[in-house]
Amino acid sequence: MAPSLTRREALGGAAAALIVASCGGGDPPPSTGPRPGSGAALLGSLLALEHAAVAAYAACGEVLRGDVLRNTRSIAQQEREHVTRLQGLIRDLGGEPPSGRSSEEYARTFPRLREPGDALAFAEDLEQRQVRGYLEALAELPDLALRNAAAEIGADEGAQLAAVRVLHGLPAAQGPFVTGAL
Amino acid sequence: MAERSDVDVLEDLLALEGRLISAYEAALRREAIDVGLGETLRDHEREHARGIEDALRHAGRRSPRASVPSPELTAALRTPESFAGFALDLEAEAVASYIEAAAAIQNPRLRQPLGSIMACEAAHEVALREAVGERVLVD
Repeated sequence: MAPSLTRREALGGAAAALIVASCGGGDPPPSTGPRPGSGAALLGSLLALEHAAVAAYAACGEVLRGDVLRNTRSIAQQEREHVTRLQGLIRDLGGEPPSGRSSEEYARTFPRLREPGDALAFAEDLEQRQVRGYLEALAELPDLALRNAAAEIGADEGAQLAAVRVLHGLPAAQGPFVTGAL
Repeated sequence: MAERSDVDVLEDLLALEGRLISAYEAALRREAIDVGLGETLRDHEREHARGIEDALRHAGRRSPRASVPSPELTAALRTPESFAGFALDLEAEAVASYIEAAAAIQNPRLRQPLGSIMACEAAHEVALREAVGERVLVD
């Protein structure tokens, strides 16, 4: 029997495609300024993902209403604050932060969001990828202050992931280890 | 200030997990938390403690530390609302401790798993806020 994709899996696949599109060769590199191994390139990848998340929440807002919409707007505001923080960190390293794409460009990579459940499933996949991105950065960033910033933003993303799950009627935490384990 | 060893960092986290486990166990006994939520949070903290104990075994653990029940916990167990406030403070302390640990621990292989627990503790805060009818996300 041919394997079939659930709607949720399809949305997750779309989120994965979004991440690849957002962080891959289509975006300009952060800069030629920072020294190799400074962490600027990695921060640039995280910033590209944050830009995509801001655009994604705007798209989700088209199909969300009421309290769920208010909460996802709060999440989007936090993502904008992460953008500002990452831009500052990259500049401090002597780099030029990558700018985001146009909303039209992002929209082409997003799944079709027909109802609130689609938007929240998309948002959950996006948040999972953001959490994973920051946790992976913890292992790779060379400087304590940069790792501290990544951990702080990662904790925000963990809370956002949980909030999206609660808004979707799911338990806040999927398990004891959000990604990976000791 | 002297740099803390990985063993110091992990032992502090283990002690914190012990306080969280004790708090949820006591709240379940005293019916100060919804059973399903309390069991989930307690079980997560037990898994975290188990993981940290494993890491400590590899890092060269010293003698286990003794812990005593806090008077604040006893007072907080009077109502579900007061316990939720106590647990939220404790989970916030846990998130802050894991942020610091995940960034500062010298063994890079431990940073991601500690971050994974950090994200889980952040989710616990959301779960507790939901349980008491607060906004799930703090601005």
